[in-house]
Amino acid sequence: MSDAKPVRTDTLTWKLLPALPFVALIAGWSIYWLIARPPVGTLPPAWAVTEALWQLAADGELLQNTLASLGRLLLGTTVGVVTGVVGGFLVGLNRRAADFLNPLVVFFNAISGIVWLPLMIGWLGIGTALVVFLIWNTVFFLVFQNTVLGVRLVPPVLEQSVETLGGSRLHIILNVTLPGALPYILSGIRSGLGFGWRALIAAELVGATVGLGQMIFRAAEFHRADIIIAGCLVIGLLGVLMDRYLLAPIEKHTIERWGLVTPSRGI
Amino acid sequence: MTMTAVSAPAAAGAPPRRPSPLASGLLGAGKFLAPFAAVVALWWAIKAGFDLPDRILVSPYQVLVTFWNLLSRGVLADYAATSLYQIGVAVVVSAVVGIPLGFAIGSNAYVARALGLFLRFFQGVSGISWLPLAIIWFGFTDTTVQVIVVYTLVVPVIFNTMLGVRAIPPSYALALRSLGAGTFRVVKDVYLPGALPSIVVGLRLGMGYGWRALIAAEMLIRQGGLGDLIFGARTFGQIDRIICGMIAIGVLYVVVDRLIVQPIENLTVARWGVLRK
Amino acid sequence: MDATSPDKIIVEGFQHFFETADGPVQATGLIDLKIPAAEFVTLVGPSGCGKTTLLKAIAGFITPTRGRIVCDGKTVTGPGRDRGVVFQELAILPWRTVRRNIGHGLEIAGVPKAERERTVARLVALTGLKGFEDRYPHELSGGMRQRVAVARTWAADPDIILMDEPFAAVDAMTRLTLQEELASLTFSTRKTVFFITHSVDEAVFLADRVLVMSKRPGRIKASIEVPRRKAGGRDWESFTTDPEMQAICEQVLRLVRDERMDGAARPGETPDPLKEAS
Repeated sequence: MSDAKPVRTDTLTWKLLPALPFVALIAGWSIYWLIARPPVGTLPPAWAVTEALWQLAADGELLQNTLASLGRLLLGTTVGVVTGVVGGFLVGLNRRAADFLNPLVVFFNAISGIVWLPLMIGWLGIGTALVVFLIWNTVFFLVFQNTVLGVRLVPPVLEQSVETLGGSRLHIILNVTLPGALPYILSGIRSGLGFGWRALIAAELVGATVGLGQMIFRAAEFHRADIIIAGCLVIGLLGVLMDRYLLAPIEKHTIERWGLVTPSRGI
Repeated sequence: MTMTAVSAPAAAGAPPRRPSPLASGLLGAGKFLAPFAAVVALWWAIKAGFDLPDRILVSPYQVLVTFWNLLSRGVLADYAATSLYQIGVAVVVSAVVGIPLGFAIGSNAYVARALGLFLRFFQGVSGISWLPLAIIWFGFTDTTVQVIVVYTLVVPVIFNTMLGVRAIPPSYALALRSLGAGTFRVVKDVYLPGALPSIVVGLRLGMGYGWRALIAAEMLIRQGGLGDLIFGARTFGQIDRIICGMIAIGVLYVVVDRLIVQPIENLTVARWGVLRK
Repeated sequence: MDATSPDKIIVEGFQHFFETADGPVQATGLIDLKIPAAEFVTLVGPSGCGKTTLLKAIAGFITPTRGRIVCDGKTVTGPGRDRGVVFQELAILPWRTVRRNIGHGLEIAGVPKAERERTVARLVALTGLKGFEDRYPHELSGGMRQRVAVARTWAADPDIILMDEPFAAVDAMTRLTLQEELASLTFSTRKTVFFITHSVDEAVFLADRVLVMSKRPGRIKASIEVPRRKAGGRDWESFTTDPEMQAICEQVLRLVRDERMDGAARPGETPDPLKEAS
């Protein structure tokens, strides 16, 4: 229980503990493989995955597919963030618009993303436009809803205090509302990027001719489990890297610096 | 501004005007439906204005007819039942697996240390990415869909259970222990009720993610379910069926989320007086 | 009302109602009030009597239901930089450093950077914030944050300053210092100040004149002159030992206490101010 005595964090056991499940997984996998000898197409040995990864990297296939996926993600997320933030401000600052749009947001949010795939294949065809649309549709709602919430939760007293200093409406929106809502906007972008990445993979499975999603889906047809597992590793790794090196630094230099999200906020 | 002033003398001291329940109910329904009416009107205008053929866009009326056909012949209920059954099973499995695991991670530093990175890594690889591998292992079957949905759903359940357990002030448990309570009683009287609101939040989030993963998986596996309905309709260019399916997906999600899950969440949160921002 | 009137703030036939789900609720009674230039007026009264409503109306955040408010000969229609406000809650911007918070009003007014820096430096020195110019608010103590808020208002150099319990959230020791600093600051800069407080001591200590408000819907029930605001301000030692000042404190306290007694004497009354009036 959390009322237990404090743990010693300087022991070797403690340091190696996170590796345990990974080691266990790979060991179990290898042992099973050596005993049961399943077909390589169904379950390759762990080392074959490394080989497949190397192969994909060497012949440039991995790079080509990764670039295609990242390009789409960048485009879809950018459009999603811009439309989401602008829309979120318009709605967050305007009760009437919010009341009108809320039912639509609830409904379209429920079918956001991949649900549009069948309809949009007919309209946009298979390819980048389709994938970008699905990413946009996923990212937009996350950013939009967080922005609306953030705008609403900016303490009115901050806006009023700048108003008494003579600040215009635009000045207040840019200097008070925007930074005040930033913690929510960033958390919207953060989950937007995460879910956009998921939507991208899902969309690429059938909605594209190139990309990481398409790469692993095609591998399934040829019973190349090694390529699939290698692809999944790359997908997971890229997702984590983007979060850590793209978004975490932005948060560090803004909302954390301003003391908006540190636990020791106090009064 | 934050406060609305009553518009000048006439209103001052005037009796409160409150509309009858029926009138306010109608007003509420109208307010709710008006935006949808606007969307349908726009849709109709686009259809008529650009004179689009049915394989590009059908009229709202056509969708209504198809919807009625699908409904009256039980087709829609059939596909919807498959999807709802799948998500229901996934919720139960995830709760059974995820809640104890979340408790273990939340209450034991060693378990947390051991599983933290592992879980984060697998959370980074979305459920749908494992679909090709699941297809190789389980074929184009319900099992494949089930695996993907549980994989997606279980992580938020684990994570939120952990958060709920960690958020309980240690003094609650200490107070009970000082009264002579054993571990079982502490878990039953402190940790379970204390973490419950957070667990419900986790299940609700997980259901949202799982529902989307379910639709995506059904599209590719084609063994029934609403995802199968809309993706199958695409093969034959039946735009009306696709839109019907999309509406069903949206409505079912909103109904389940708002009418079943949210009330449970509100109940637990309100009852325990746990404030959430 | 012409601009040559000696009164800086004039409240005429003011009365305010809030719209609630149960219909309009009276927030204040009928209030008439005149504050001459360079006067420091404090307002005390029981919770929920409408003190803040009156201040917000003078600030221009709410439009009076009845009556009007005239500042410097002009009817108030909205917030403006002629009337600075120091709020009870922390109202400085967390994403601006101390320097940029204090200079914010000047920045809005388009004052060139060099001049802005000079003004900021002067106020930083005056409010004892030297060495903290480049800190963010969350890195300061509560008392220092409130100093930044005061400095920001002074930097914009409004003639009128409205303060709504600015020291309520500050610890007791810091509060004493801040009060003394405010007393000397307002005296040297000859601002017209309208100051709301719960504390009778604070009200008498700071003021040229103390106004006492009745319970909701509040009206001004007494106005008490406080003599001897000496050059250089006051300090708490001489204040607490001055029998004349203590007599005024007692008088104000009695007036405020009467209001509370009246309120408590009414049977079946709920403490919720909204319910009370409906």
